[in-house]
Amino acid sequence: MNTDQTSWSRVAVNIASVLARWLLGAVFLYMGLSKALDPVDFLKLLRQYDLTQSSLLLNSLAATLPWFEVFCGLLLLLGVAVRGTALTLMAMLVPFTGLVLHRALLLQAALAIPFCAVKFDCGCGNGTEFICRKLSENLLLFALSAALLAGRGHQFSLRFSLIKPPASKPAVN
Amino acid sequence: MAVLGAAFAFAANQVSPLGLAPTRDYFPAGTASPARPAVAGTNSGAVTPAQFLAEQMKEKGLQLLEDGKAAQLFRDPRFKQDIIVFIDARDEEHYQQGHIPGAYEFDPYRPEKYFDTVLPLCQKAEQIVVYCNGGDCDDSESAAILLRDVGIPNQKLFVFGGGITKWTTDNLPVETGARNSGNLRKPNP
Repeated sequence: MNTDQTSWSRVAVNIASVLARWLLGAVFLYMGLSKALDPVDFLKLLRQYDLTQSSLLLNSLAATLPWFEVFCGLLLLLGVAVRGTALTLMAMLVPFTGLVLHRALLLQAALAIPFCAVKFDCGCGNGTEFICRKLSENLLLFALSAALLAGRGHQFSLRFSLIKPPASKPAVN
Repeated sequence: MAVLGAAFAFAANQVSPLGLAPTRDYFPAGTASPARPAVAGTNSGAVTPAQFLAEQMKEKGLQLLEDGKAAQLFRDPRFKQDIIVFIDARDEEHYQQGHIPGAYEFDPYRPEKYFDTVLPLCQKAEQIVVYCNGGDCDDSESAAILLRDVGIPNQKLFVFGGGITKWTTDNLPVETGARNSGNLRKPNP
């Protein structure tokens, strides 16, 4: 009985993990493509963050970031290098969420409105959104990435780890 | 992973027909628009948004069209003869959704697509009115600077700061679809 319950819960966790990987992949694929198909609009939005005065750097960022997200999304959907991709996404989500939060705080101060009433297009690929919703979404994406980094979602993967761990040596008498 | 991703991203941008050119200056009008000043009347030292805009234009060596002048130029018979030219500096999608009737499309982020049509016109025209959405939009400034950089005399160029927003607020006619499509959105009675 207990063994049955354990195996069922394991199956449920595995299914949920794969769905999480596909969801995360689809979200990044969608967000990346929506920006890649209108790079000028993304460039204008990125410029509003005042990240750099160098047009070369700003253009390069606007040109490559959307396609980088598409790349990560595809890897997750296919199940290739999942842990490395998850780690990369986490490394991207932290500074971007920080930038969005900073901008939202500036807008809140300028408009003198409650924080959650701040609404703007952060250039994330979803158009204009309320800041509290955006932050919740990013938190969820971060949690899903963390779960994948922990080794979840390896079912239906083409190549879960890009670099195979070395096989353990057979015991020698 | 990151290196592979970056290589993929650079390659995809190169291949994409919509790709950005890393070395190009897409914002010749300068840095992002700063926050608008306080509304006049709240304190004696405040400047009006119009004064602020005029000051910004002056810094960039551009001329701001006076209030009400856009409509006046639109009704001028020289407009029909392309002696006065209106340039819409928004992207194609916004242009199709509604533009000043007879205005030419000129997206400053894809200028190469429009130079063949717009440049000869601007060379012949006596007055060129460039506009975008109005408000914080500075695409009209970018377009005017681009035209100036390719040899259109500065004294011909005027930026209509209020843009299409002011135009529609003033209940003036708007054309949808292509230039001279005849699809006019009539002003409200």
